[in-house]
Amino acid sequence: MALVDRYLHAVKFWLPRNQKDDIIAELSEDLRSQIEDKENELGHKLSDDEVEPILKRCGSPMAVAGRYLPQQSLIGPALFPIYSIIIRSLIFYFLLPWLLLWLGITIFSPDFRVDHPGAALFASLEPWWLACTYSLFFNTLAFALLDRSQVRSHLVNNWNPRALPTERDHNRISRGATIFELTVVVATLAVLVQIDPFHRVFHFFGLTMTLSPQWPYFIWALTALTGGGIAVSCLHLAQPCWTRLSASLRLGLDVYSWGLIYLLCRANLLQALSGGDLGSNDGVKLVNSFNYWMASSAGWVLFIGAIVLFFDIRRILRVGPAREFEKP
Amino acid sequence: MSPSTEQGNDNRFENLRQELRRGSLPLAVLAALRTEHYGYTLRKTLAVHGMAIDEGTLYPLLRRLETQGLLVSEWREEDKRNKRFYRLSPDGKLILKQLLIEWKSIHTSLEDIF
Repeated sequence: MALVDRYLHAVKFWLPRNQKDDIIAELSEDLRSQIEDKENELGHKLSDDEVEPILKRCGSPMAVAGRYLPQQSLIGPALFPIYSIIIRSLIFYFLLPWLLLWLGITIFSPDFRVDHPGAALFASLEPWWLACTYSLFFNTLAFALLDRSQVRSHLVNNWNPRALPTERDHNRISRGATIFELTVVVATLAVLVQIDPFHRVFHFFGLTMTLSPQWPYFIWALTALTGGGIAVSCLHLAQPCWTRLSASLRLGLDVYSWGLIYLLCRANLLQALSGGDLGSNDGVKLVNSFNYWMASSAGWVLFIGAIVLFFDIRRILRVGPAREFEKP
Repeated sequence: MSPSTEQGNDNRFENLRQELRRGSLPLAVLAALRTEHYGYTLRKTLAVHGMAIDEGTLYPLLRRLETQGLLVSEWREEDKRNKRFYRLSPDGKLILKQLLIEWKSIHTSLEDIF
């Protein structure tokens, strides 16, 4: 019976203080009756090996005690959906971007790696860990308190079907956004066609700026990009909802534009700067600094471009072939 | 049918079966306690009638029903051991009568649907 006593002692530990003895007396009676029946059936005293399956079938001490306790939850089912949305938003729109930004800085910024060598690199992530801990802790605490307050019943019970938000169509392309986009690309094209691509020397504020020989190629590429932008915007105006075709065209346009910006950063675009109060050395220094700054931004361009492309690809996958023929 | 699908179906059936039986347990317990029982004999009685219930489920249920005033209990000595005997309270008898009517109504409705 030592095994039964140990089991009852373990169950007792988890029980509410004022009911411990009563519950244990009753459970003990039941277990001893079961053992007694088994002993009568087998014709001998049960060994520990034979008692063990009876206790195992009864359940773990914590589980058995748990059934006597009232159902409790930190955040009840009424508020849990809101809590879940807030936590997911916190992770996907705040903590994850922060982590990606940290990764981006770590990968693309040599200066940051020099300033934070070895373990110091990971120590620079400490504010992120703190933000994770505090935001999750305080949100959970706030919801747990809300769940126990009168505000919960006010939030859950006072609602009006007419006040519910209208259904939002994620496939719909806003006409306002398309018109804005079209205006910007048309204005850009209007500026680009005014520029003589072979004219590489510019004068302003008494300074003379000479651009690299690749400049005309960029002008042509930018003109083609704006042309593509106008075509895609017109398509959106004609059919203001995402289809596989329009989403793929958007992806193609974004690959092209972010690729172009990347090449622009790496092109050492500024060839010379002179005039004004600038000495020849100052001009060279400024040109080198500008080109270095542009080149070191190339990694960031790739990083941001990758995020944009991620959303473009996700849009293609979400649209799906079945919605291809849906009317706007 | 693949073995994993079969096992999935078995699990789903078992979950629904337990849910169905759990819902009818209070009624079975109240009905069985028209005659006085202590926990172990009550379990045996229910098992004989095809409503086997483990101790971890029965005793918390008995406590809940007693807290609701549907059962009364007393500790008494029997066969040199202290046992807690349960029986229906007057309120319990009334509720049992109403629940049985409800149960028959559900049964009739289900028969109609089937």
